[in-house]
Amino acid sequence: MSKKTWKRTSALLALASALSVTLPAAAQKLEDQLVIATTGGLMGNTLAKYFYEPFNKARNVEVVPVAIEVPDQWARAKAMQRTGKMEFDIVTATGPDLVGRTDMLEKIDCAKLPSVQKFGVSDACQPYGVARTTGGMLITYNTETFKAKAPKTWADFWDVKQFPGPRGLPDTGDSDWWVPVAALLADGVKADQLFPLDLNRAYKKLDEIRPNVSVWWKTGDQVQQIMRSREVVMAMSYSGRALAVVKEGVPVAMSWDQAIRDTGYMAVLKGAPDLNAAMAYLDFFYASSDAHVPFMRAVNYATASKSAIELMKPEERNLYATSPENYEKLVKPDFAWIGEHRSELRERWTAWLTR
Amino acid sequence: MTKAVRSKFWHSDGRRLSGLSTLLLLLPFFAVIAFVFIYPIAQLLLISFLEPHPTLDNYARVVDNPVHARVLMRTLWTAALVTALSAVLGFPVAHYMSRTKGALAALVAVCVILPLWSSVLVRTAAWSFLLQRNGLINSALMALGLTSQPFKLLYTQSAVVIAMTHVLLPFMILPIYGALRSIPNDYARAAAVLGATRLRTFLEVILPLSLPGVVSGSLLVFLTALGFFITPALLGSPQEMMISTLVSKQIREILDWPFAAALVGVLTVFVTLLAIVFSKTLRFDRLMGSAS
Repeated sequence: MSKKTWKRTSALLALASALSVTLPAAAQKLEDQLVIATTGGLMGNTLAKYFYEPFNKARNVEVVPVAIEVPDQWARAKAMQRTGKMEFDIVTATGPDLVGRTDMLEKIDCAKLPSVQKFGVSDACQPYGVARTTGGMLITYNTETFKAKAPKTWADFWDVKQFPGPRGLPDTGDSDWWVPVAALLADGVKADQLFPLDLNRAYKKLDEIRPNVSVWWKTGDQVQQIMRSREVVMAMSYSGRALAVVKEGVPVAMSWDQAIRDTGYMAVLKGAPDLNAAMAYLDFFYASSDAHVPFMRAVNYATASKSAIELMKPEERNLYATSPENYEKLVKPDFAWIGEHRSELRERWTAWLTR
Repeated sequence: MTKAVRSKFWHSDGRRLSGLSTLLLLLPFFAVIAFVFIYPIAQLLLISFLEPHPTLDNYARVVDNPVHARVLMRTLWTAALVTALSAVLGFPVAHYMSRTKGALAALVAVCVILPLWSSVLVRTAAWSFLLQRNGLINSALMALGLTSQPFKLLYTQSAVVIAMTHVLLPFMILPIYGALRSIPNDYARAAAVLGATRLRTFLEVILPLSLPGVVSGSLLVFLTALGFFITPALLGSPQEMMISTLVSKQIREILDWPFAAALVGVLTVFVTLLAIVFSKTLRFDRLMGSAS
């Protein structure tokens, strides 16, 4: 069976490559440059080292990185769409963006990205994006405060009797569904029965924890800062940000139980000026498996490369979302549902938060 | 020939500029303002009426959802608190500055003006270090034995008001100082000669004459406070969300520009009305001042 599938796939691949050879040269010629918008700092620099520069060497396309926060990137893209002059090719998108912002994105033909098919996990290629880095929204707690017994689940996060102290929750990015999802899990909803979200139940549960939330953090730097300065004893945090703080030697630890999967995708803007180069880069990203391990170590997030995670030792592997052990524990959100109900989710969140 | 030109650009006394030349001289300024300020804002406001189709729906949404009214009221309230607090704190400083001379006066002036040279972000970050749970203030209070548990100081309304007042204080002090400086010393002396106590002199002579300074300082502080963004975002909790944060959320996260434009439209109307009221008050004060 699997042999047969493999045969069929390889036949298709051969066909695809044969077709691409016969295509006119102009369609295959890549543009001179490629503009990639993503967060600057560590992520931007590490991408440049392991992917932009090798891509430049291999395909002679100069990658122009634009350091920009994700919300600002969308605002800029929207402005470009209004004026009709696109300046970015590849942008950073979340799962719900791939459903809710399709009007701004170029459709990706996964069949034309053989390396993603070959080296990426099964859902790495989506109709409007290719997975870049995967982490989880998880509980990070101070190990000195909770020496005897550590909080593991969202029910523990809500349990202020057993685990007293101020908490941190996000007010940024996708908090409009991250936080209600955590509340429902704390209230005993099973991870596979979360969607469609029962928002009334979620917000009732959120009312309980609210007096104990002392920080609604807005950026990844801030959630690290409140863990270091002990402004909070536990927080919902990006796993990569938490891992960086763990590596600094701060007494904090992460619990992967019920962590909410958070994947950053590379998406191509509709009307991108360097479309061919963009698609070539998406495929190139997965073509070089060797780069993924040092890349993951540097940015603290896992890529969707099948082979990379297997190259790591088990104890190291378990710091990442995609290790077999952790991936099982992750809560997988229904992005289609979230994408469709986005405005409702956001309005409810803002109304509750500003009350 | 020269005479004709003169009469056009100069007043008949030959010394003052005529209305026409004043207008011509102001023209470049207005051209720049129109291009870089009025035009983009008008464009933005147009969106709120024209998209997705010519409609008032965007404004209806502002009114329909109680969140927006709540955030707008909170913004006005916070700005009012900051204005009142900086007037109370700023007046004594301005009064002291107007009474001091020499090196001491220079020192006070530097203390007032120097913070303006550092970025708002830096000053806001400094407050977050002072106010955090294990920050200087809580550590000091606990070391002194005044409290056993750290207070929650950061991410509160008080933190926002304190830091905004700190940032905006110079804008209150300088206009008041200007007004106080322009009051001739003779007035106070005359009042004293007529038997007024120092308190009475202050209340009935100095204070009324300095009011235009207080009003223009308040106008500056209040209007700037309405648009504050960084300080409430970094030091406040979502309960302290101000209207500019709400607009930024619409523009950056939700990408609903027509609606963001409608929010800006509502804020613009409020600010314009307030500015008119303030400036009427100012003129009223001047009239009173010159009449008495």
